[in-house]
Amino acid sequence: MAAANGTGRPSRPSNLKRNLWIAGATALFIWAALSVNVNLADLASLPSGLWLILTKMIPPDLSYLKSAVPAMIQSIEMAWVGTIIGATLSLPLGFLGAKNVSSPLVANTMRQILNAIRAFPELILAIAIFIPIAGLGPVAGTLAIGLHSAGTLGKLTAEAIEGIDAGPVEAARAAGGRGLQVQRWGVLPQVLPELIGFWLYRFEINIRASAVLGVVGAGGIGFLLQQTIVFGRWPLAGTAILVVIVATILVDTISGNVRRRIIEGSDVQVTSEAEITDPALAAR
Amino acid sequence: MTAVAPATRRPAKPPRSRIVFVGIAAFIIITLVSVSEEWGIGLDIGGIIEDLGNGRVILEQLLDPNWAFLPRVVQPLLETFQIAVVAAFIGCGLALPISFFASRTTVPNRLTLTISRGILSVVRALPDFLYALIFVAAVGIGPLGGIMALIFFNIGVVAKLLSETVDAVDTGPIEAVDAGGSDRTQMVRWAVLPQVLPNYVAYSLYAFELNVRASTVLGFVGAGGIGFLLRVQYQFQAWSNVSVIVICLFVIVFVIELISIRLRRRLV
Repeated sequence: MAAANGTGRPSRPSNLKRNLWIAGATALFIWAALSVNVNLADLASLPSGLWLILTKMIPPDLSYLKSAVPAMIQSIEMAWVGTIIGATLSLPLGFLGAKNVSSPLVANTMRQILNAIRAFPELILAIAIFIPIAGLGPVAGTLAIGLHSAGTLGKLTAEAIEGIDAGPVEAARAAGGRGLQVQRWGVLPQVLPELIGFWLYRFEINIRASAVLGVVGAGGIGFLLQQTIVFGRWPLAGTAILVVIVATILVDTISGNVRRRIIEGSDVQVTSEAEITDPALAAR
Repeated sequence: MTAVAPATRRPAKPPRSRIVFVGIAAFIIITLVSVSEEWGIGLDIGGIIEDLGNGRVILEQLLDPNWAFLPRVVQPLLETFQIAVVAAFIGCGLALPISFFASRTTVPNRLTLTISRGILSVVRALPDFLYALIFVAAVGIGPLGGIMALIFFNIGVVAKLLSETVDAVDTGPIEAVDAGGSDRTQMVRWAVLPQVLPNYVAYSLYAFELNVRASTVLGFVGAGGIGFLLRVQYQFQAWSNVSVIVICLFVIVFVIELISIRLRRRLV
């Protein structure tokens, strides 16, 4: 009981730095919460407002399926083609962006270009570049998805290539491989399973991203969602939302299974739910 | 020596599994249907290349930003930042307990697990802009709709990533606290939480980053922030003003990402 201080237990390491971070973050939150222009009366009306919407949406008007399903299919097609465009562009960009394949100067420049592409959301790419070029419609949306995906996939590809084993590359070189041959036989086989995983993951994200493009007339189910909700046609909106949920979960499940199969191979018992948890992958 | 049949020099290639062919066939068919004029989006690459010039007039204006517009961008940009901060704090705060309900490690009951994961995949299936539409309809135009939308969006992202991290924790500490006689809450607090805390903070920073990026989309449907200004200028076809907004957004996204990546790297 009366043991001298410090002899019983080692003293705790200082938490000062951590506590300062927590205090700073809390202060930021309090500042933002107090200064943001939110009316407390609006906040109080939130539960009743939501409840009203929910009761109006149920039961959904299922006759609207004949409009909502084709629109959702168009969203999925936009995401699919956009992902293919992005993946195709990202291969050369990713190889050039990898320090162990290209020169450090080229790699750094390419990384900055990829960062710049990624900073523009699909919506901005659609309104500022692709709608003027391709006109209103799903093609503009698809191209916007494709370009943005090229940015994210290119970055992930470059990082994957930088993580490869140098052995096969040396082997390909020793066997007389040149330039592209080394990339084809020494690099690509090592990263391909991972890349296909990235592509499928991107496809899942693009389905969600494609929804918003409908708001500016770039195709997909977003237009129906916006029209039905803004004009308060809740039974129709309920049907459209239902279609979005079912289709997205369906595609996620299929794509997730394919991804797991590719990464783990066919010999492995598929029990693990381990997925790609690198948050950079979820970049939309 | 000379008469060795060629087949003996190399081992035979393993036969390609059927599933690869099925996969390639499915890929080709889906792609052809998707690009077709009749059933798909009608992608015509030749036509697009011909039309590339159409964008020139707008592009020229975009490349000539109207800097006099800059003062009007400051306030909405600040609002975007505030919305992102508030939503990230509340959303990520809620995601922490939720993710423990969605992991095998902390919830051994299969039924509870299936239900909580089911709810989570529904939350994740709705895109951020759909949340924004619904909440704007419920509470009216303004940042509250945006905050609520991003809260749900953040719960979806962080709870998913974190529950997978919890699935993969080291079971040693769990056995240790079990042996020490802990109940489930104590187990989560002392054996699981310390292991996943750095990842949790990293995912939360990442969610914050996504929130700033989402602001264009939110404002477009009236949920506050810079997107609303963007929409108005877009509808007026004031491309030099759009350009200023896009550049400001680009800079803020870039800076936040830079800080966030640096912090995340230190954490994990």
